Amino acid sequence: MNYSELTRRYFESPGSVGELSGAGVFRGVAGNREQGTWVQFDLQCESGTLQAVRFLAFACPHTIAVSAWLAEQSVGKALMRTLPESVQELRDRFDVPADKMGRLLIIEDAWLAAAIPAIDYRG
Amino acid sequence: MKPATQVSTAGMPVYLDHASTTPVDSRVAARMAEILNSETEFGNPASVSHDYGDIAHALVEQARGQVASAVGAASNEVIWTSGATEANNLAIFGVAQYYRERGRHIVTSRTEHKAVLDPCRELERRGWQVTYLVPDREGLLDPDQVAAALRQDTVLVSVMHVNNEIGVVQNIGALGAICARHGGIWLHVDAAQSLGKCPIDFAGLGVDLMSLSGHKVYGPKGVGALAVAQRKDGSRSARVQLAPLLFGGGQERGLRAGTLATHQVVGMGLAFELASSISSKETVRIAQLQRRLWQGLASIGGVLRNGSVSRSVPHVLNVSFEGVEGESLLAAVRPYLAVSTGSACNSALAEPSYVLRALGRSERLSESSLRFGLGRTTTTSDIDTAVAVLSREVGRLRDIAGARSGRVADAVAGT
Repeated sequence: MNYSELTRRYFESPGSVGELSGAGVFRGVAGNREQGTWVQFDLQCESGTLQAVRFLAFACPHTIAVSAWLAEQSVGKALMRTLPESVQELRDRFDVPADKMGRLLIIEDAWLAAAIPAIDYRG
Repeated sequence: MKPATQVSTAGMPVYLDHASTTPVDSRVAARMAEILNSETEFGNPASVSHDYGDIAHALVEQARGQVASAVGAASNEVIWTSGATEANNLAIFGVAQYYRERGRHIVTSRTEHKAVLDPCRELERRGWQVTYLVPDREGLLDPDQVAAALRQDTVLVSVMHVNNEIGVVQNIGALGAICARHGGIWLHVDAAQSLGKCPIDFAGLGVDLMSLSGHKVYGPKGVGALAVAQRKDGSRSARVQLAPLLFGGGQERGLRAGTLATHQVVGMGLAFELASSISSKETVRIAQLQRRLWQGLASIGGVLRNGSVSRSVPHVLNVSFEGVEGESLLAAVRPYLAVSTGSACNSALAEPSYVLRALGRSERLSESSLRFGLGRTTTTSDIDTAVAVLSREVGRLRDIAGARSGRVADAVAGT
């Protein structure tokens, strides 16, 4: 399979890999390793703003690249009840094949599983 | 920042996919080029009315003898084809069609090449019955399994010699004896991967039909052969007969119509002659390289070897990496190493190797498996590069997956 330059760059050198712990950290997990795709996001927020993001992914290069990009790009931005960029926009940005749309939805599920409790906790 | 990784001097990834295909031996390429450029060797080998045809015919027959000699067959037992896939099709459809009134049952195994499995599936669609035997977890068939699967209406047993994905060597001699004992059951063997890797003896193994390939043994692509036994010995009351697949010219004793490509068959003949003279020193060298590769990969941790260790050729090593996703693994190593996931013939399909699944590997492990094909061009440096690349990339992917070393099993089990 061929990958876009952006996909290859974030797949080969993903920043923000790992986990966070401590106050203000919310974790979201989606997917299943046995099914081939598993993603975890740790979001650390303060006053509605993302201070740090880390991710882990057992997944294909597209999923790793998109997760890494989201983690990198969202720091310093306001936490919302949606992905920082829509699934369709991410698909276009990373040239993700149509048959991999389900993997982008897993990324969205993992992100929202962390983001929504974080927003609700903040009240 | 990533450490620098050695790439071969041509700027291409290290080639470790000799089980998929091999580079053409320079002596073979030179001889083929000679024929293509010749003003006297371009004739149609089937033309009997002039010297040009006679010269080409002589070249074809010399090559036939070289192939026959390399596999322990007689010259008149070798039928040229376009490759092992056509040879497999000719053997399976040829027997099925010719003996359709005697019986319509075939025995094969789940780990055969698609060039055997797909013809069998097609025959099922046409009303034949096929028994697909399941090998043990090392990829080996028990001859008793084969014997137990035979029926009154069985006409063919088709089992490969050296498996293309995991390198295990089946006990063909035992299968030959079983088929001969039952009488009227022909044994077809896909031996595309055998020559130059392990001993091969068409007559001695009691094989009736054997598929051969040119490009697996440093010969050209687009040419192969089917050895068709002509012997009649104590264990056989008749010779195997085939219905042809192609019509139009009667070449190859009516079994395979079409003008022969002289340069192709001459290339295959020379490649087989060269392969049959491979020294034991070279076999030892390959075995040492394979051992070095396996030891290096095993030291990464969470790496499983697929297929029998004791009954396999050293030219193929198939391993599964725990805790990494298959597509990412291949994408990570691709800039540095030319290797296969499963069989290259299947690599266009995004599905786990059916051979590894048949051995009991999970879907995930099957997907995260790589086949290394070692050959004449493989060096110690290639092996060390492969180990270094995989050590780094598997570690990196496990870090991304949160499944580093000791946490591999937990991570896999504990999603």
